[in-house]
Amino acid sequence: MAQVTAVTPVARMVGSNRVVQGKGIVYPLGDAGLDPEEEKDLRRSIVKQALEALRSEA
Amino acid sequence: MRVVHYLNQFFGGLGGEEEANIAVEVREGAVGPGRLLEQVLGDGSTVVKTVICGDNHAAENLDSVMELVVEQVRESQADLFVAGPCFVAGRYGVAAGALCAAVQAELGTPVVTGMAVENPGVDLYRQELYIVDSGENVADMRAALIKMAAIARKLAANEDVGRPADMGYIPRGIMKDEIVEESAAVRLANMILAKTTGQPYETELTQTGFEPIPAPPPVPDLSEATVAIVTDGGLVPAGNPDGMPAIASTIWGAYDIAAVDDLEGADYEVYHRGYDNRHVLNDPDRLVPVDVLKELEKAGEVGKVYEQFLSMTGLANPLANSRRIGREIAESLKNAGVDAVILTST
Amino acid sequence: MKLTLAIHSVNDARTGSGTRLDGGMLTVDVDELRDAVLQDRRLQSVDVEIASPGQPCRIGVVFDILEPRAKEPGTGSDFPGLLGPMAVAGQGTTHVLRGAAVTVVDASQEPGIASKMMEMHGDAAQASPYGSLHHVVVVPRMIPGTPRHVELNALRLASVRAAVFLGSSALDLEPDSVEEYELDGPWGKAGDGLPRIAYIGQVHGHQMVVEEDERILYGSNTEGMSPLTLHPNEWLDGAVVCSYWVMRVESYFYQNHPIILELYKRHLAGEINFVGTVATVAASLEADRNRNCLLAAHQARWGLGADGVVLTKYGGGAPHVDMGETARICEALGMKTVVQVSDSSGDRRAESAMLFSYPEVDAIVYGGGGDIGWNAAPVERVIAGTAEAGQALAQMTFIPAQALCGATNQQGASKIQAMVY
Repeated sequence: MAQVTAVTPVARMVGSNRVVQGKGIVYPLGDAGLDPEEEKDLRRSIVKQALEALRSEA
Repeated sequence: MRVVHYLNQFFGGLGGEEEANIAVEVREGAVGPGRLLEQVLGDGSTVVKTVICGDNHAAENLDSVMELVVEQVRESQADLFVAGPCFVAGRYGVAAGALCAAVQAELGTPVVTGMAVENPGVDLYRQELYIVDSGENVADMRAALIKMAAIARKLAANEDVGRPADMGYIPRGIMKDEIVEESAAVRLANMILAKTTGQPYETELTQTGFEPIPAPPPVPDLSEATVAIVTDGGLVPAGNPDGMPAIASTIWGAYDIAAVDDLEGADYEVYHRGYDNRHVLNDPDRLVPVDVLKELEKAGEVGKVYEQFLSMTGLANPLANSRRIGREIAESLKNAGVDAVILTST
Repeated sequence: MKLTLAIHSVNDARTGSGTRLDGGMLTVDVDELRDAVLQDRRLQSVDVEIASPGQPCRIGVVFDILEPRAKEPGTGSDFPGLLGPMAVAGQGTTHVLRGAAVTVVDASQEPGIASKMMEMHGDAAQASPYGSLHHVVVVPRMIPGTPRHVELNALRLASVRAAVFLGSSALDLEPDSVEEYELDGPWGKAGDGLPRIAYIGQVHGHQMVVEEDERILYGSNTEGMSPLTLHPNEWLDGAVVCSYWVMRVESYFYQNHPIILELYKRHLAGEINFVGTVATVAASLEADRNRNCLLAAHQARWGLGADGVVLTKYGGGAPHVDMGETARICEALGMKTVVQVSDSSGDRRAESAMLFSYPEVDAIVYGGGGDIGWNAAPVERVIAGTAEAGQALAQMTFIPAQALCGATNQQGASKIQAMVY
């Protein structure tokens, strides 16, 4: 499991092994400040980081 | 009070480690520390039965020993079940905790035990039981029994047991609100003054330590794998079919995304009061990234996106509840053949 | 920087003709107060009622509570940046109606677990720090169709307008007493050898997205804000009001900040050297969190020269993380810390209580509120925004601490502690 969160200290505290930095509490995989295409690029890059974490040793 | 007392082979006078495999036996009356227990309980209290068992036997046959102890307590119409004190003896402590918990749960009879703080029985049973801090030293038997007796009397009389520090038991981690003399501001000032001037201070809460979780092995080839999305952000289909609460959900839901390539805000609702939901409602992919994961599935980077996303509300959720939901979700996904999970947290 | 509070005692309050304070009796001219608040053309109407201690009366849903205050003309600005022109708060003379409160009702909120109310009689009233005050209750009503953020902005302005209008009734009066607040700041030599204590307080948590017109700190909505060093007097004198997310906070306890006042008291008693404060926010974005936590701690260390820091958080759960991180960084910089945590353990288990875990952050003041409350007798009068809200409030027979204004306050006023058994 890879956990995407913008509150990584809590994920680490409880022992989550594959933590991926999310953007914000209100949108872990988005950013309302970006235009839709840029936002999707951001989301893709976060999901790809999560996939990379799943492929890698924790 | 009529008391049933549990001892291991050593305190039961049957021998040391070499006798740890000795089977469980029941004696009439008090044995060893049980006599002292009668004395400190006073008021004509008697140990009516003593159950003695080897530490290994108890560890290996815990269920049958529990059954036997519960039966003995029931038959003797005991007012109290006491186990130990166990000091640092680990197998003894674990058995004592389990037996006390079983008697308490099945019969509602008051139970009390004693252990050193480092005894593994403490971590397992402190939340359920009154465990007196016996210390490590067997020579402190009397002191430990006096504390156990004081708690037993209160339990038997159905009185409030009182605070851990006053009564000598290991904090159970149960919180009760009290109205105190000093406001939080005064307590904060007192504590910072003490801490900066090297005076002793007592924190009002000890932090929870978390055991490391062994990391599962990587999934090197995700193009062959089924990947599921799980969220604690409270996203549910419009109409909230499972009745997801907006705080501390005790349930989780699984929602179909097999035929969906992009989540639309109009089809979903968010039940989570801990963050501003508006951005996720505008585009739920910001929480549950179905759109890009399905793209990656089409591109062959991911074998298959699991046909449902799983959702619950994490806000202010009791740890025990979160653990249960975690176990249930993991089990369900494992049974469904899911190889990897992306968990999104708000 | 010196702030003088001219304290005028209010022992009783009534409505009547001509707003005035006379011998402890506050007379509120409803039409005058209404005119002051209705300067805001977005409001359709305003109701004004008085609720005094001991009266069988219930108020809700409460938007905010403030202490009526007004600056002595020429010595500063009322709620600078929000109501009055920008000026640094915390200087000059401020007239205070001690014993009175302006309590603003939010007519668009339903009573419920997430909303606040006030009880004026019985055990609940005694358990709230607001139970002994004379409340001038203001119920603004919007022109229908007004967007929510505009309504909230209007409620905020109504709250400060009413507070200043009432406070102004004391401008020409001799105060009953005078309080003076003055510190040497981080440079002073007076407290040499004493522990140098700073306060780091959050004024919002951005997991609740702020509105553009949300006025929190000198009129700013704190979006993109970096931690800011404030003189303690600035908190006391209108620099900060609550955000629209009023969980366990009221602006009254910025004006009468229990932690700042306690640290002042210890300073005057020669126990500590109170060197100053830092205002900060809890973040939604992790990048913001990292920046805010580091900068707040460094400002306390290098700006204020603190040896010890008291930290509090805003709102609910997630801001604990920012507070815990900031405290951890403070400890790493050589400052001792004490943090105030608010109860969020749904199961009343200590293991569920914390959202951070750092061995060095080992001094925790723990506020309760999860399992305490008071039985409530029926009331004759409910001051509410709508008939439905009034009915729901009237039917309450038990008032949970979390619903009662002030009982679980996290600005330091609460006397409810969750004990670990």
